[in-house]
Amino acid sequence: MEERPDPNLPAKTLDHDADLQKKHQAMLDRLSTRHHARLDNSLARRSDSTNSSEATSSFLSRFSESKQSIDSQLADSRLIAQSDPSRLKTHFANISSSISDLEKLVAESSYFLPSYEVRSSLKTISDLKQNLEILNSELIPKRKFSFKNKATTKKELPKEPEPEPVKSDAVSVTNFKIPNSPGFRNKTNKTLIQKFKGTEVGEFTLSNLDSCEVRLIGCCNAVFMNRLKDCKVYLGPVIGSILIEEVEGCVFVLASHQIRIHLAKRSDFYLRLRSRPIIEDSNVVRFAPYCLDYEGIEMDLEKAGLSEETGNWGNVDDFKWLRAVQSPNWCVLPGNERVGKVRVEDFESGNEVADYRLFD
Amino acid sequence: MGLLSIIRKIKRKEKEMRILMVGLDNSGKTTIVMKINGEDTSVISPTLGFNIKTISYQKYTLNIWDVGGQRTIRSYWRNYFEQTDGLVWVVDSSDLRRLDDCKMELDNLLKEERLSGASLLILANKQDIKGALTPAEIAKVLNLEAMDKTRHWKIVGCSAYTGEGLLEGFDWLVQDVASRIYMLD
Repeated sequence: MEERPDPNLPAKTLDHDADLQKKHQAMLDRLSTRHHARLDNSLARRSDSTNSSEATSSFLSRFSESKQSIDSQLADSRLIAQSDPSRLKTHFANISSSISDLEKLVAESSYFLPSYEVRSSLKTISDLKQNLEILNSELIPKRKFSFKNKATTKKELPKEPEPEPVKSDAVSVTNFKIPNSPGFRNKTNKTLIQKFKGTEVGEFTLSNLDSCEVRLIGCCNAVFMNRLKDCKVYLGPVIGSILIEEVEGCVFVLASHQIRIHLAKRSDFYLRLRSRPIIEDSNVVRFAPYCLDYEGIEMDLEKAGLSEETGNWGNVDDFKWLRAVQSPNWCVLPGNERVGKVRVEDFESGNEVADYRLFD
Repeated sequence: MGLLSIIRKIKRKEKEMRILMVGLDNSGKTTIVMKINGEDTSVISPTLGFNIKTISYQKYTLNIWDVGGQRTIRSYWRNYFEQTDGLVWVVDSSDLRRLDDCKMELDNLLKEERLSGASLLILANKQDIKGALTPAEIAKVLNLEAMDKTRHWKIVGCSAYTGEGLLEGFDWLVQDVASRIYMLD
């Protein structure tokens, strides 16, 4: 067979070659640009490193300049204190802001500075701060009535004519008088009834009660109790949390999202909760399920998300007994010692107005 | 290159921040973290120990350490101080009786050297409760104006129950921390 020249073939190969050459050229170009890029990069890197040593020295000169100016400002303080003490405060504020500027400078530069420089400049800054602090306390007399002072003044007057008034809810810390929240306080041998209506109920406090019976009917957001002795406390559902501190010989019937019990002794708790109850520094406390009833309690329980028994009343966490075995500080109240369903009325005939007005 | 600078660089790359949440018990720390993270806040038990949450917030990754506030475990707070970028102090604005406790614990915390560089966000929580003190009143009680001048701090009123104020507070905290530790941005 004779070879049959294909007229198209040579042209095709040519095309092919041209293609190849183009590709080849492109590859060469790419390689050379990459080469250049690498060269550039390494040059840049080299100049970077020279830059960084320059940057270090320029940082050091800036740093020492501002340090000197702060030092001289600090030295001026005494003069100012003698001539015009009212200016001292702004003067110190200025110094403090220049110190923090300096600190910022160090932070900004820390990524290129050698670690020794970072350390030594931080040390300098903390020295400056200390100097400022010392001058500040020396030259400006303390005016604030600090927490510590308060404690010592209390100790200085231990023998007041009347027995030391039990710690009130209205503590004044520093210069601000804290208002009292709504609640029952400092009562003995009383039946205390409060009905919550509507949605505008915030927190409620029970404090310093002795041998009282407390009935809070309806929902509220938070309840604080402290210093109760030999009391019975019946509470409608609380939407938020209940905090109990220093109680003894009491019976509590409570429902809420959370409950925290501190410093409780010989007390029984009938609870319904959406989370685990906790006790701390407590002993001889016993737990059982919630057992309160009043007219409309179903609606209130639902409002607080507590219509179902959760079983959490028995899942007690004792923060003073972080072990797997049962804590000796609490136990489940035996069935035969539990009170039955407790039914409380909205009000007792006759005293309705007086009790309602306590809160509204 | 020292180990510290390597760690710093890695942190910078991943844009991580370490946030420590502390405050008295019952102030709402865990509820705040859960609310920010969009989780159910209706069945939270008092924290026995601590929780860690990793949350993406804006372009940052927040590692939030939520440490229990009961008196017994407050002494363990110090175990979490190292490497803290942002400190959140949570106050129950309706717990008027324990505000002096609250002030004392905060003062102790701020003396801590390992926290001296951390930005401080004070959340005046439970603003939804009638009778709660306003953020301005809380600031007075805690005497915040008397704080060390170099501390970056802000107080924000919030309600972990409704979620109000939480984003405002965390926005500030994250921005403030970012401007300190991610200088190159």
